[in-house]
Amino acid sequence: MLMAAAACGGSDDKAETGASASSEPSAQGGGKGGKVGLAYDIGGRGDQSFNDSAAVGLDKAKTEFGLEAKELEAAPGETDAQKEERLRLLASGGFNPVIAVGFAYSGPVKKVAAEFPDVKFAIIDDADATGPNVSNLVFAEEQGSYLVGVAAALKSTKNSIGFVGGVKVPLIQKFEAGYVAGAKAVKSDIKIQVKYLSEPPEFTGFNDPAKGKTTAQGMLDAGADVIYHAAGGSGGGVFEAAKAANAMAIGVDSDQALTADKAVSDVVITSMLKKVDVAVYDFLKNFTAGTVKGGETRYDLKAGGVDFSTTGGKVDDIKSQLDEYKNKISSGEITVPATP
Amino acid sequence: MTATDVAAEKPAAAPPARRFKLTFPVLLLGLAGLVVLLSVARLATGANDITSGGTISAALGLAVPIGLAGLGGLWSERAGVVNIGLEGMMILGTWFGAWGAIQFDNPWAGVLAGALGGAIGGAIHALATVTFGVDQIISGVAINIVGLGFTQYLSKLVFSTMKGGGAKQSPRVPMMGKISIPGIGQPLLDLQNKRWFLVSDLAGVLHGITQNVSLFTVLAIVLVPLSFYVLWRTAFGLRIRSCGERPVAAESLGVNVYLYKWIAVIISGGLAGLGGAFLSLVAAGIYRDGQTGGRGYIGLAAMIFGNWRPGGLAGGAALFGYTDALQLRQGGVSVHALLLVVALLLAAVAVYQLVRQRRNKAALVAGIAAMAVFALFALTDTVPEAFTSFTPHLTTLLVLSLASQRLRMPAADGVPYRRGQAK
Repeated sequence: MLMAAAACGGSDDKAETGASASSEPSAQGGGKGGKVGLAYDIGGRGDQSFNDSAAVGLDKAKTEFGLEAKELEAAPGETDAQKEERLRLLASGGFNPVIAVGFAYSGPVKKVAAEFPDVKFAIIDDADATGPNVSNLVFAEEQGSYLVGVAAALKSTKNSIGFVGGVKVPLIQKFEAGYVAGAKAVKSDIKIQVKYLSEPPEFTGFNDPAKGKTTAQGMLDAGADVIYHAAGGSGGGVFEAAKAANAMAIGVDSDQALTADKAVSDVVITSMLKKVDVAVYDFLKNFTAGTVKGGETRYDLKAGGVDFSTTGGKVDDIKSQLDEYKNKISSGEITVPATP
Repeated sequence: MTATDVAAEKPAAAPPARRFKLTFPVLLLGLAGLVVLLSVARLATGANDITSGGTISAALGLAVPIGLAGLGGLWSERAGVVNIGLEGMMILGTWFGAWGAIQFDNPWAGVLAGALGGAIGGAIHALATVTFGVDQIISGVAINIVGLGFTQYLSKLVFSTMKGGGAKQSPRVPMMGKISIPGIGQPLLDLQNKRWFLVSDLAGVLHGITQNVSLFTVLAIVLVPLSFYVLWRTAFGLRIRSCGERPVAAESLGVNVYLYKWIAVIISGGLAGLGGAFLSLVAAGIYRDGQTGGRGYIGLAAMIFGNWRPGGLAGGAALFGYTDALQLRQGGVSVHALLLVVALLLAAVAVYQLVRQRRNKAALVAGIAAMAVFALFALTDTVPEAFTSFTPHLTTLLVLSLASQRLRMPAADGVPYRRGQAK
């Protein structure tokens, strides 16, 4: 039923394309192809995390280049076949380019991109779905995580820190690997507790703040005083636990000292920024300029794809040290491992 | 239905040995024995978290939503209506709980709203299954789907316009009060940190259940004996249970079966809604899309685990909550210590079967299992992360499979009933 509704939406939008394309002909590069299809992962627009970041990039590109967009989102527990169908709907509905948000679309993008060679596809967080018309937008999460790992080790007074991952998938393990490497680089004897909230194919770990809170409490009880989370919506629970124990927390993806609730946001000393919005915007910009190229585009520290935030001034005292590590990573002097 | 057949045949087939009967003193003795076992395991492995106040407190918090969902299932199934829609009713409870608390700036308004939200789900289930005779499983599954979709729709409508909220989550909800027994918190904590045999473990457990307990948790715990009292000690409860055992007989005695089923299913929804409200109000502090994560189904399992009895399901929920707290807090280390506890328990069961019941074969099986678990414990240092996360599910499954021969569901559970069908 959802599919049928989406299909109707697609064909309805077709009629309006001309109007929106003509409104800003200069940026259009020929006035055609102003219809972007965006398929979100579970959570979709409004998750105040990863998907929202993609939405920000899309919105910016939409107003700037006068694009029109169709956004669909994944449902929890759906199969690859449903994701394929979603992409196929967008591609056959005249949407070009089609952007898939999240590694879960890896298999489906590879398959559907081969069926529509004239449509450009982009996939975020995945380098496995390759094809002549597929752009893989990936991030060096381990580099950003390395920096917040350094910050955690420097800020910890008990020489004990923690990492809470949402789901144990290779993507989230990149966060862990970088964080651990960064912390160890500062203090080789530091105690690091690592915990994932769920194991695939169980993806509830990204949406269970109660478990995030319990896990973080356990780490704090065991002596940690800084906790970094890469657990999406479960991160709110980590902040709650840190707040209750007067400890520190590190946010992820967006600047969570700004986005988290005011009552707990003061525990967030820094956040590992992952600029999905920049990747989406760049891709659309290149597309309208006609310079999209297939293959992997890596948004690393050097390219400004990942970074750490300084909102709240809690890491100002160690900022020079952080910048030093940042330069070393950018120059290639330090290579950060991507697997734990 | 097969469960009853098995139960009926069993006495004839079973050996005439003294049957184990769970009385209150036995229960207390068992609990004390468990604490001793845990204490031994803690000293042997150094996994100090397994009886710490933090673990017990976390276990309580994790057990409450499951227990409330299970209690919801109990009410419904005791009236003969299978309620697989508990998950959907919980989802409604999470949303309405958060909404009520934010809207009226009072967590107790959220508790009430959560119960009402769940009760709406229950009313839909009752309308479909009791009044219209729809298949109970189908109606339940439909409620799970509708509950999810409806709350997503409401979130977009309500929470996305609030500051700090969004289409997928609510702003932070007002905090609910916590109570402690005054004066003993710090002494207990000091005692716990001494790491003495047994004394420290008891102190940890006491600290967990007496300090910083949410008032909602207290409410949930009170609901267990209350449910028992109402269902087993009042005429009203007897009528409800008669609807689940033999609705035709109940009807012949003048019981309005439809009405009692309606009431039971609505209460069931209300309890599941309370479980959801606990998640959003106490456990998480926000509503988050999908935060129930299948706890409704686990509640259903806890109810079966508890043989459709309030005490049993509370035990099931506590076991699940405790093992979940262990694996979430300290993962492999704690679960590894748990292996030793399981080995010791199995050994105790083997000895019991050998000495008291003279069931040599069963004792042998239990003994071999005990040795296998002990070998696993002795040969490893920790349990790999990939296994720890399903410790609670595995534990529940194990106990269920061991106990399944002795479970008896209400005789007319899940059987559609139409008024006047007895003619």
